Amino acid sequence: MLRFLRLGWRGLREMFLHPWAQLFTISAVTMAAVLAGIFLLLLHNVNQELIRNRGAVEFQVFWREGADMEQVRREWQRLAAMDHLKEMETFTPEQALEGLSRDLSGQGALDWLEEKNPLPASAFLAFNIPPGDHSEIWAKGLLAELRVLPDVRAVHYNPVQMDLAKSWLSVSRSVIWPVMGFLALVVALVVGNTVKLSMLTRRDEIEILSLVGARPWYIRAPLLASGAFTGLASSGLALGLLRLLHLRLEHVLDFPPVFLVISFLPMEHCLLLTGVVTAVCMAGSWVGVRQ
Amino acid sequence: MISPCPVRGKSLANKEEAPGKPPRFTKSGRAGTEFGMVEFKRVSYVFGSSWALKDVSFTLEKGGFLFLTGHSGAGKTTLLRLLYAGLPLHRGRATVAGFELHKLRRRHVPELRRRVSVVFQDFKILPQRTVFENVALALEVRGVTRQHMERRVRAIVRALGLESKSYTRCAHLSGGEQQRVAIARSMVVNPKLILADEPTGNLDADLTTDLMNIFKQFHSYGATVIMATHNRTILNMVPDAHILHLEQGQVAETTLPVEQDEPHTEGLL
Ligand SMILES: Nc1ncnc2c1ncn2[C@@H]1O[C@H](COP(=O)(O)OP(=O)(O)OP(=O)(O)O)[C@@H](O)[C@H]1O
Ligand SMILES: [Mg+2]
Repeated sequence: MLRFLRLGWRGLREMFLHPWAQLFTISAVTMAAVLAGIFLLLLHNVNQELIRNRGAVEFQVFWREGADMEQVRREWQRLAAMDHLKEMETFTPEQALEGLSRDLSGQGALDWLEEKNPLPASAFLAFNIPPGDHSEIWAKGLLAELRVLPDVRAVHYNPVQMDLAKSWLSVSRSVIWPVMGFLALVVALVVGNTVKLSMLTRRDEIEILSLVGARPWYIRAPLLASGAFTGLASSGLALGLLRLLHLRLEHVLDFPPVFLVISFLPMEHCLLLTGVVTAVCMAGSWVGVRQ
Repeated sequence: MISPCPVRGKSLANKEEAPGKPPRFTKSGRAGTEFGMVEFKRVSYVFGSSWALKDVSFTLEKGGFLFLTGHSGAGKTTLLRLLYAGLPLHRGRATVAGFELHKLRRRHVPELRRRVSVVFQDFKILPQRTVFENVALALEVRGVTRQHMERRVRAIVRALGLESKSYTRCAHLSGGEQQRVAIARSMVVNPKLILADEPTGNLDADLTTDLMNIFKQFHSYGATVIMATHNRTILNMVPDAHILHLEQGQVAETTLPVEQDEPHTEGLL
C-alpha cells in the first residue's frame, strides 16, 4: 500500500517533467468536460422546467359538513408542511360559498344559503412528483394518507395529470440516459485519445523502465495516478468554469412570461461528470502503456 | 550432448514457486562443464522478409567474455535484443541466465531483465533526469532501500568519473558522458550478465581504455559480458575474450568451441 502511494506520488511529481504537455492535456480534457457540462446543464434545466409544469399531482380533499373548523385548520397547517407540496389552497365553507356564488351570478346570489351552508371545508393540494420509479405508488400512498385524516369525507385526485407526468418522466428518462451515454462516449473518446497522446511524451520513459526490469504495475501505478490527477484537475476546472458561466447566465431568462431561473447541475451530475472524466483519463493512461 | 534445459519450464508449471520469486538457474546437463550462461541453438530472426539472424548457435560459459563483431547490419544488435527479450524468439532455442527464451512468458520478462543488464547503442537514458536519477532507476525498480541506493549510485558514478555531474540533467551531457551514464546504470545492479552494444562508440581512446577496464573489472568479479563492437582495437584489450563474427546474420567465424550441428527439429515441433 505504502509502495503504491509512493509510486502514485512519483507519478504526480513526474507530471512536472513535462509541464507543457500536461497543461495541454488538462486544457483539452477540461474543454471536453465543459462542453459536456453545458449540454448536461441544458438538459437538466429543460427537464426541470418540464417537470415543474407537468409533473404535479393534484388532490381535492373534502371534509364532512359541520366538521370542527379548529381541527380542520390544524390539519391544514400540517398539510402545508408536507414534502413535495407545490401549491395549496384551502376553503372554509364560507369561502367556498362565496366563491361559488361569485362564479354563478355575481355577489349575493346564494345569500339565502348562508343560514345553512351545505358546502364542506375543502383543500386543494398540488404535489410535485418526486423523481424515481415509484411515483404511482407514492401517489397512491398520499391518497391513502389523505383519506384517513379525521373527518375527511372524500379525496379526489386526478390520475390523468399523474399519467401525463409519468409519461413525461419516462420519456425524459428514455431520452436522457441514451443522450448521457452518448455524451460519456464522446467525452471518453476525446479524453482517452488526448491522454493517450500525452503518453507518447512518456513512451521513452516507459520503455526504459521496462528495459531495466520494472514490473508492469511499477510502470502503471504512477501513470494511473497522473491520469487520475489529470481527470480530477480537469473536471474540477470544468465545473468551476461551468459555475462561472452559470452565474453569468442564471437570470438571462428570468423575465415575463418565461420566468426561468437557470439552475446549476445537481450534485449527482457533478459527481457523474467528475467520475466519467477521471475514469476515462485513467483508462486512457492504462491503454497508453500498451505499446 | 546438451540436454534441453527443462528447469525453467518446469518451474513455471510448478505452482509452488511463486511467480515473484527469482527463478532457479538452469544447469546445463552437459557433463563436465559449468552451466551455460548463454546458449543459442539454431536461432534465427526475420524482420519481415529479411533474415537478421540465421541459424546462430553458440554457447558462452558463465564468466565468459564475448565480442560480437561484424559489419553494420550483420545482426549484432538483433542478437543482443533477443538476449534481453527485446525481441521474441520464434525460431530456435536459447537459454539466458536460466531463462529459456523460446518458452519465456511475458510476465517473466522483468525478471530476466533484472539479471541481464544492457548498455544500449542509443543509451536509452532519460534526458530530463539527472545522472543520479538515471543510474538510480535500475535500483529503484528493484525496490532497493534509499540508503543502499545512494551508496551504490555514488560509488559507481565516482568510478565512471561522473561525480561532478551527478546532479546535472542528462540532456546537458556530452555523448560520451551519456554513454557512461548508461554504463553506470547497467553496472550499478551488479549484474551477472552484461550486454553492451557499441559501448565505446562515442569515446576517445583514453576513455575507451578506462571503460574497457571497468568492463574487465566486472568480468573479473564473475560477470559474463557480451559486447558488440566495430572497434578492432578493443578486441586486444581483453586477451581471454572470445569472438563471434557475424556476416549477414550468420556466424562466419568464432573462437568459441564449435558444436556439431544436431539434426534440426525445430521446424517440426
Ligand atoms: N526494426 C527493424 N525492422 C526491420 N529490419 C531491421 C530492424 N532492425 C534491424 N533490422 C535489419 O536487421 C539487420 C541486422 O540489424 P542489426 O541492427 O542487428 O545490425 P548491427 O549488426 O547491429 O548493425 P550496426 O553495427 O550498424 O549497429 C539489418 O539488415 C537491419 O536492416
Ligand atoms: Mg547495432
